[in-house]
Amino acid sequence: MSVTRASPAAPVSPPSAPRLEVSPAARRFPVLLVGGLIIVAVLVVLHVGVGPVYLSPRQVVLALIGHPEIPYQHTIVVELRLPRALIALAAGAMLALAGAILQSIMRNPLAEPEMTGSVAGAILVTVLWVGFGESGVVPAVWYMPLVALAGGVAAGLVVYVLTWRGQSQPGRLILTGLLVSAILRSGASIVLLVHQAAIGSVMLWLIGSLNGRVWSDWGILWPWALPTLLLGLASARWANVLQLGDETAASLGLRVEWARAALLFLAVALAAGAVAIVGGIAFLGLVAPHLARRVTGADARRVFPLSMVIGAGILVGADIVAQVALPGIQLPVGAVVAVLGAPFFLYLLRRRLR
Amino acid sequence: MRLVPEDKQAEETPNATGSESALESADLSAGYGDRQVLEQLSLSIERGSITALVGPNGSGKSTMLKALARMLHPRHGAVYLGGRDIARLPTREVARRLAILPQAPTAPEELTVAELVERGRYPHVGPLRLFSDADRSAIARALTATQMTEFRARPLDSLSGGERQRAWIALALAQETPILLLDEPTTYLDVGHQFEVLDLVRQLNIEQGMTIVLVLHDLNQAARFSHRMVVFEEGHIVADGSPGDVLTPKMLARVFNVRAHVVPHPEDGSPVCLPYGLAGVDGVENGALTGLPVSVPEAQASG
Repeated sequence: MSVTRASPAAPVSPPSAPRLEVSPAARRFPVLLVGGLIIVAVLVVLHVGVGPVYLSPRQVVLALIGHPEIPYQHTIVVELRLPRALIALAAGAMLALAGAILQSIMRNPLAEPEMTGSVAGAILVTVLWVGFGESGVVPAVWYMPLVALAGGVAAGLVVYVLTWRGQSQPGRLILTGLLVSAILRSGASIVLLVHQAAIGSVMLWLIGSLNGRVWSDWGILWPWALPTLLLGLASARWANVLQLGDETAASLGLRVEWARAALLFLAVALAAGAVAIVGGIAFLGLVAPHLARRVTGADARRVFPLSMVIGAGILVGADIVAQVALPGIQLPVGAVVAVLGAPFFLYLLRRRLR
Repeated sequence: MRLVPEDKQAEETPNATGSESALESADLSAGYGDRQVLEQLSLSIERGSITALVGPNGSGKSTMLKALARMLHPRHGAVYLGGRDIARLPTREVARRLAILPQAPTAPEELTVAELVERGRYPHVGPLRLFSDADRSAIARALTATQMTEFRARPLDSLSGGERQRAWIALALAQETPILLLDEPTTYLDVGHQFEVLDLVRQLNIEQGMTIVLVLHDLNQAARFSHRMVVFEEGHIVADGSPGDVLTPKMLARVFNVRAHVVPHPEDGSPVCLPYGLAGVDGVENGALTGLPVSVPEAQASG
């Protein structure tokens, strides 16, 4: 009988500590999160197996835990391929979280990192650097990502300042961000046309690519990814309160302008950090949080982590496709994401306009 | 079925802090951009009372409410919460003492009632702390008081207008503040749902001793549900007192530009106005009461 139940069951009368997480979306969340992580882990194993020398999932796992079937497999897996997979995971999670944060603070489900100007800013600064500098390649120099990051953050600040009218306005922010992005992107195009020698190396990065990413790239990415991802997750309750509109948020004791500026900066930092290493991957920051909200509701405490998992999974999965789709050619992963993401974007628009 | 627990009863609240006024504006001027809306208003809200702010469109009643809730910074003068300048109090402390429900609040489509109401605990838990039992019971009480417990897993989208408004009130109640401000809480609701909301307001005042200030469009509802009516006109307070003193044909003619009869409500004697024409227009015989209360339910004199 239920009388002997050991766990402290919620009392029937509402006033004392009842169960609150009752929506189906909330109940599904742990399952979705764990399931998502398992799928991502499987994708990583497949991802590491793909390449000039194919390794079976079993061989990959054995090499990863330090007992490779044949010693050279350890070299392939750990030294050559693992950094690429890790970068895909981190960059995917960062772009997705940036999108999730933006969608909640802009109260616009179609917001994405591009709309902060940060992606275009990072691209322009990188192109300028490559065009006028002596290196001529992206991102062979260790500080290249930091340069891109600076450009992204600067562009984000410009957008924010242009939007400011005594208070920031989400709607205006999106339009200003798109306009600034367009200007910065055409600036990048002009620089590339003038310095045509740089086009070859920059083009892949512009579209977004994981080709040739090595441990040194990971070394640049993770110190940036770790704090920004953690701060992003920690900001979920702010985002939750901001979702209710400026007036309600203020009445709940949130310093609205501070919170929005901080979240916006976090989104810019996440997006610019990812772009610096993997380039201008579009649609990921739009699609991943959308899928997350679709399955787990509107609460940022669930949407943020789930978006990260989905974003990481999409980028790793797309990079597998990028490597195997055309024999002998490595596609830029950004092109694969766009080919899959653009139709999804159209589908979203159709659903919203219906 | 009243499930509001005993410990939230009226006795403790009125004398919690020595001063008689819960909320007070002194010499307050405020506005938007270049437009000054309020001109040096002093208004003191008594602890444990229901105060209705009324007036024609653009008269400054909503602006006053926003200024009282610190959503609008005064150009001049100040607002005092429990005797202290509200502009100098920490934002979260203000939110623990005063809740305001804006006129047209927005929320993400998929948000459920429980997720909405939970956010009312933000002033108490901040961005990182986990919910305690006290937080969970506050949420449960808010849901119970608004009779939203059974809807708690439903998305806001799926609710009727009245239910949605009750969910938003539950959000404000979860804040557990002694003061509640409501900006036209009955707008866009049909008459049954309007009474649902106003009955709830009255119940919160009686059972929990909440101090309530609300902007209302409907004069008769204001008269029926408030202890005190404050009439705004062009940024000034032109009448202030009990509904019986304030709701007079003279005031209606002057402020709302309508001719009206004011009669006691057959049910409880609260004053009811029956407008029958514009004050400036001739041809309507003063005193020609037809007896047909055709225009009564919507006494929204100025539209």
